[in-house]
Amino acid sequence: MPEVARLSREDSLTLDAGNIVTCDGAGEALIVELYRRSARQGFAITCRDGKGIVSRTLGLFSVDRFAEDPGQAVPIRNTHTSVQLGQAAVSIWKDICEQMAFLGELMVSAATLLARPGRLRLHDTMLHFERAGIDALPITLVIGFLLGLILAFMSTTSFRQFGVEVYVANLIAIGLFRELGPLITAIILAGRSGSAFAAEIGTMKVNEEIDALVTFGLPPVIFLALPRVIAATLVMPILSIFSIMAGLIGGAFVVTSLGVPAITYWQHVISSTTLNNILLGLLKAAVFGMLVGIVGCSHGLQTGRTADAVGRAATAAVVGSLILITIFDGVFAVLFYLLKI
Amino acid sequence: MPEETVITVENVDAGYEDVPVLRDVTFSVRRGEVFAILGGSGCGKSTLLKHMIGLNPPLKGEIRLMGDRIFGGAQEESARALRHFGVTYQSGALFGSMTLLENVCLPLESFTDLPPEARNLVAEMKLELVGLKEYADYFPSDISGGMKKRAAIARAMALDPALLFLDEPSAGLDPVTSAGLDRLILRMRDTQGVTVVMVTHELPSIFAVADRCVMLDKQTKSLIAEGPPADLRDHCDNETVRGFFNRE
Repeated sequence: MPEVARLSREDSLTLDAGNIVTCDGAGEALIVELYRRSARQGFAITCRDGKGIVSRTLGLFSVDRFAEDPGQAVPIRNTHTSVQLGQAAVSIWKDICEQMAFLGELMVSAATLLARPGRLRLHDTMLHFERAGIDALPITLVIGFLLGLILAFMSTTSFRQFGVEVYVANLIAIGLFRELGPLITAIILAGRSGSAFAAEIGTMKVNEEIDALVTFGLPPVIFLALPRVIAATLVMPILSIFSIMAGLIGGAFVVTSLGVPAITYWQHVISSTTLNNILLGLLKAAVFGMLVGIVGCSHGLQTGRTADAVGRAATAAVVGSLILITIFDGVFAVLFYLLKI
Repeated sequence: MPEETVITVENVDAGYEDVPVLRDVTFSVRRGEVFAILGGSGCGKSTLLKHMIGLNPPLKGEIRLMGDRIFGGAQEESARALRHFGVTYQSGALFGSMTLLENVCLPLESFTDLPPEARNLVAEMKLELVGLKEYADYFPSDISGGMKKRAAIARAMALDPALLFLDEPSAGLDPVTSAGLDRLILRMRDTQGVTVVMVTHELPSIFAVADRCVMLDKQTKSLIAEGPPADLRDHCDNETVRGFFNRE
């Protein structure tokens, strides 16, 4: 082809297709390309077309229709940083608007449900409660136990320098009840159930099941989202309690192995665990659960109609949940500080 | 009509996990013909097609494409058999994250060493053949069902296969779009010299494009008729065949 690129108006090219019997797609593309270059560069083509392959190809594909360079035909994706930043900002803003709209719709649906509680699909709610809660119990217990273990190991090293390793129990208890228990459980819920909510609902959208619900007059928010959000909200405090208990046992494992009597450890845990701490932890857990449910369902309902859109929705659900959980955790910290609780 | 046989299906038991849906099916397809596999819902048409395109092995028997066994032979023979054909599925099965051009380019990228410009030109020409050149940059989600089927045919034809298998090409299409697709199938046969095997139960399409057909029966789990569709409609004694063609 470089030789052909150098041809000009004064030149001529001989295309000898006299012995060609059949021609595949690549051969047809070559013929079209030569005639296209001839039209562009002005050189003449003398064709020996014994079996009529060239004329057949030119009959099938008009050279005028392939005037532009095929290299340009691939859609150009703009990779300029400023454009990508702008697109990302627009996408985040759109996402926030959609989340707010969904939240509003969810609130209205929840209000209508209060008036007519029979509309809640209790069976579905229990099913999601089981999937998000009971099925998640083993992983929650394992992660909770390891968290307590790690927390105890890390703090014991520092506390020992001051001879107060017995207070590791207080740190673990307060830390787990108020902060880490609900937080780590929410992360598990987001990764396990939030993504599942988005993928399930997203797949229903791809299969036009959501359209079917709408045409039946069944609001998808009441039918699909509310059972999941309610299940996630209710299951989180329970999972958190299990996670905290496992963490305390993990802590006990380390602290007692370092010479602190078990009875002393548990006495310190009980003394530092106030009702306030327990209730604040459970409140945070319920809010985190609600956030995971809302974000998961919202991204599921906003899924596009392709298979990769389902994957993107599941990813967005996890990322969105984690961001919101972190933001709300910060808000709670400030709020509790201001309220001195 | 040339008489060279390009597909042979011999004594095939079709089914899944040792449960036969069809027993002892034998037929052959000749080069350059449009061949239809007919039958009511659940008679095993798609199951047989899956055996023919190498997705599932048949329970018994042998299938050869251009002389190569798709199952039961050496690995090279199976690989060669797979290169003989293109397939389109009921839904089109286009990759949603790729444009139509990228969809058609994909097999060219994977199985040829053409440079990108040449690949794009070949892909554009395939899209031109099915009347979708202007939609090259569209995503599958942005086009209609009929266009998806045409784009799927363009993708199936990307590597210039000798055989083209179509699973329910007219399913879910309106009569006008369906007739357009029928014309496209004939055009592909006439211009590209491809042999077409289609699974369908759409009578207008069968009469419009099929040179010959076989009819499968759910009750007897067997092939009950073979021949040109008009002959089967007018002269076949089998009650099921008559019922199918006369919609009784």
